[in-house]
Amino acid sequence: METLLEKIKDRVSVNFDLKDHKIYADQKRVDLFFKKEHIPSVLLYLKEQMDFRHLMHMSVIDWLEEGEFEVIFLLWAPKEKIKVFVKTRIDRENPVMENMDNIWPQLNTYEREFKEMYGIEFPGLVAPEEFILEAWTGPPPMRRDFETDKFAKDNFATRPGREDAQDVRETIAKRSGEDIPDFAKKYSR
Amino acid sequence: MYNDKNKQKIVDIIKNAARKHSLWVLAYGTGCGAIEVPATMTSRYDAERLGVRGAATPRQADVLLITGYLTVKTLKRVIRVYEQMQDPKYVIGFGSCTINGGMYFDSYNTINQLDLYLPVDVYISGCMPRPEAVLEGFGKLQELIGKGVANGARQYKDNLDYYRENQKKVIKNWDFQDYNW
Repeated sequence: METLLEKIKDRVSVNFDLKDHKIYADQKRVDLFFKKEHIPSVLLYLKEQMDFRHLMHMSVIDWLEEGEFEVIFLLWAPKEKIKVFVKTRIDRENPVMENMDNIWPQLNTYEREFKEMYGIEFPGLVAPEEFILEAWTGPPPMRRDFETDKFAKDNFATRPGREDAQDVRETIAKRSGEDIPDFAKKYSR
Repeated sequence: MYNDKNKQKIVDIIKNAARKHSLWVLAYGTGCGAIEVPATMTSRYDAERLGVRGAATPRQADVLLITGYLTVKTLKRVIRVYEQMQDPKYVIGFGSCTINGGMYFDSYNTINQLDLYLPVDVYISGCMPRPEAVLEGFGKLQELIGKGVANGARQYKDNLDYYRENQKKVIKNWDFQDYNW
């Protein structure tokens, strides 16, 4: 299995500028890191030439400290049962990614989601303006610097009584004059 | 002609007794609470022996059972549904999400207090409330109807401006007609 995964890596790196790679033999998985510009041609090559026909998922990770978004495409070869993760980093301040729904039409849905949830721009994406959120006015909600707690407090009135996030177990024990056993104490706040 | 016991007209006492024994429920299945409704309705807990039954459409229903958290998007539809229902109508808030947000209290698009937007007659606490608790809630609602104090619908009509103001605060794309009863 290891040699087969190595071969996949070698074959891709001959054709494209491979930045980095990682092989997980036990999971039958290869991670390939590329620059943003190479991603469409890499995906097309993997799909057409190397039998990675199935797009399992597209995902985005917010690396706030490094100021980057990581965009990941999870591909799957049905015959060999091998996974390939194609990864790239894009700038967090000005996130633009190429629209690739002509390779896999289902990418259209993923791209709509990331446009809404992370604010990533996909030039040329033909889709309705809204995906899940309706009449959303705030910043993209899945970014890590979006303060959900504060947003909820500003927009939705909270019922008084849960500000202190009090531990119910302690209150009940105090009221009935019992001691909390040691094994339960580690779960108390 | 008033009954001095609880200040209801005798005709109201008869009407309410009839109403409380035939509650037709529109279970608006938001969130995870919808899964407790089949258990309540089917043979083991058998809510029908209390006169509680499912209704097909809002216009045929008496009780709006809101089972769980409401996103802003769903809230708009729920308000629409509630306003389509005909009198007498009651709202049951089901689960802690409708009371104070529950585990979604800090979510970016779920409301925390249902009674700001709709008049709630009975809250059922719990996460999730078991069918016993749901039946208890229906029992409470029947008790309130019998006493003639489950008047959320009248409260909504009288304080429509208050409710509208709250609703418009969270629903940004408000496009309802400005109608009144």
